[in-house]
Amino acid sequence: MVSGRRCSASGAVYEVVGRAASRLRAGRCSRRRFLGAAGALVGGALLAACGRDEAAKAPESDAAVLDRLLRHEQATVAAMAGAPAALRDQDRRHAARLARELVALGGRPVPPGAPGDPASVPARKQQGVFTYVVALPRLADPELRVLVMQIAASEAAHLAALRLAAGEEPVPDAFAGFTETGTP
Amino acid sequence: MAGRVAEQFGAARTDAALLQVALRVEQVAALAYAAAADGPLEGEERTHALRFAEHERRHAAAFETMLFALTVPVRERASEEHLDALLPGLRGAERREALQALAELEGAAIMGHLLMGRRLVALDALRTVATVMAGGAQHLVVLRDALGQTPLTQTFETGH
Repeated sequence: MVSGRRCSASGAVYEVVGRAASRLRAGRCSRRRFLGAAGALVGGALLAACGRDEAAKAPESDAAVLDRLLRHEQATVAAMAGAPAALRDQDRRHAARLARELVALGGRPVPPGAPGDPASVPARKQQGVFTYVVALPRLADPELRVLVMQIAASEAAHLAALRLAAGEEPVPDAFAGFTETGTP
Repeated sequence: MAGRVAEQFGAARTDAALLQVALRVEQVAALAYAAAADGPLEGEERTHALRFAEHERRHAAAFETMLFALTVPVRERASEEHLDALLPGLRGAERREALQALAELEGAAIMGHLLMGRRLVALDALRTVATVMAGGAQHLVVLRDALGQTPLTQTFETGH
């Protein structure tokens, strides 16, 4: 899995984006600031020159990454009480699949808890897209990467469906919220 | 059409080759949305198509930048001929046909992006691929809605 060249600049960008996402969730970072970090990501200049496997750099295991994603998804399920049933059901399936994969890796899924995040459903969905995308290169197993990409895209689609139902522009950004240019 | 796109992605064995196929698909998608906007789509659907054409151009620009970073020059851009080869008849299509063709192309791109998830060595690049794919999934929601399909979203977006 480990490839040759290294590119610390690119990794640093993603660290910034990851930290900014955490601060955004915690209400300590403005959307503009977050997108400023993420804009560098989508700009692409730092992305592709690296033949480095970030999963090799970070000692975090696939199980640890899945555990974090599962906790996020469970919080989403708990926060989706007022959302359309179809979306709630799909979120429950996301959580169930993540739990199954975690168990297969020897992990122990935490039981679903009460909602702890007062974010609105669309904000929660946008956080979901950020969370899954940022986690991607930390996964060593290609099949888990595919799964996380599928869930990230599903979360993005949920967001578009919610906007459509609300009569808003369903896709204001080319990169599912990762750039500022599409911000309404 | 989806089969042809899948073949091209399937034949790509290096990061550069995968990105080149992804770039070409986004370029064709931009042309396809523009053609649909100039053709059978009207009103809000035309507005969406024009917006999505711009999104596809930005996706293409992101892939092109990644190729530059790999020191792979991009010498050729997709043309109307490429569009006609991949989506023959789109320009003369009726509204529903055009929407279906666009949805099929978005789905084929997503399937290719998932293959990139398995094969890309430069895992950092995968984040950009994932954001492009997520954007495509959002386009699909609008297309499915216009086609009267349900559900609008999938639990695990596969492009199918």
